[in-house]
Amino acid sequence: MTIELIPAERFTMQELTDLYNQTRVDYMVPMPMNASRLGEYVHDFDIDLSQSCVARAADGQMLGLCMLGVRQNEAWITRLGVLPATRRSGVGSALMDCMMENASKLGAKTTQLEVIKNNLPAYNLFLCKDFKETGEYLVMRRAPHPASEPPRGNVDWLDSEKALEAIQAYPNHLTWINASESMRNAQDVEGLRLTLPDGGAGWLVYRNTKFTLRSTLSHLIIHTEQGNPIEVGTQLLLNLHTRYAHHDTYAENIHKDDPHLSAFHALGYFENFSRIEMLHSS
Amino acid sequence: MAKILYIEDIKDNITLVQKIVTSRGHEFMSAENAETGLEMAFAHHPDLILLDLGLPDADGQTLSVWMRNDPILETVPIIVLTAWPEEVARHTVEAYNLNGYLCKPFTMAELVQIIDTVLNKSSA
Repeated sequence: MTIELIPAERFTMQELTDLYNQTRVDYMVPMPMNASRLGEYVHDFDIDLSQSCVARAADGQMLGLCMLGVRQNEAWITRLGVLPATRRSGVGSALMDCMMENASKLGAKTTQLEVIKNNLPAYNLFLCKDFKETGEYLVMRRAPHPASEPPRGNVDWLDSEKALEAIQAYPNHLTWINASESMRNAQDVEGLRLTLPDGGAGWLVYRNTKFTLRSTLSHLIIHTEQGNPIEVGTQLLLNLHTRYAHHDTYAENIHKDDPHLSAFHALGYFENFSRIEMLHSS
Repeated sequence: MAKILYIEDIKDNITLVQKIVTSRGHEFMSAENAETGLEMAFAHHPDLILLDLGLPDADGQTLSVWMRNDPILETVPIIVLTAWPEEVARHTVEAYNLNGYLCKPFTMAELVQIIDTVLNKSSA
């Protein structure tokens, strides 16, 4: 099959959205988007549509797409999708080669991506392109419900600027979507800083996204500066969910060995799926 | 007979479910995204909502929260129809206080049975 690779910037956001949704119609984790959400995704995660690609057959049939995020000397491959009827014909490989080449041209020293755990065709494709696993991350949900106990500790609620300052001092690795650049782009970042009577201290940063009628909490990052991470994490989450008792919450890319995981579970978070982060170094 | 709203973004699924639901004599309506689904729920007060979790604007979990937080819609039974794995669907139904689930692909008999069961419970 002859595959033509066309910069994604030549398509409208609606065309890209329609193509993306068609590639994911049978996906193991259904995550359709509309043009508005894809536009936010492009903005928040620094997707460069001039370096992203749509694959098209010689007869004009759309085959798939892939997007490239670019930050200084790092790149991120995302939204790779191929229409179900044209899989296993080299389209995904061609899109990946195009993204890798574009990342290299832009001077990226590393290129990262995430693949949903057990998506073996994609995982094997990335292995073939010399990507190596760097970590496993959980995507969790929490339905709004009353907290089981009143929260403790002295809390300072952080505005966007202070919340971003906290993230920049975060000592551990953050995946692309939770990185400080993504949070800064999103402009709906808030946080809280907690001090407990026993000296325990830490902070929690999150996005508070306004929809038409309600808000949703997402992209949580927890850090314990002092004390027991489970206790500090529990109190941070208790304070958050007491303040936002009616908010749905979506915690993305929490490392599977995050020391606060027990706190998430204690507060009613449950796992939806896992992502494997992979890295390619040039 | 009941008034049933199906919120689902894939047209083929809507067509399939519409055939099943109307063949049982129910009134059927559909919406392809969360916001339209919410508007239709407010406007038509359905007896039952069939809800896909993967929607293009806000996902089904978030939409169910909006509905459960509203005094008009809080008691409307919601059945999740999803491609998510069964364990996730079960956790979602429990956590979000929903009324049942079916994982895709499902049979006509399974859909008819869960609709009848949930409608009977809600009218009891």
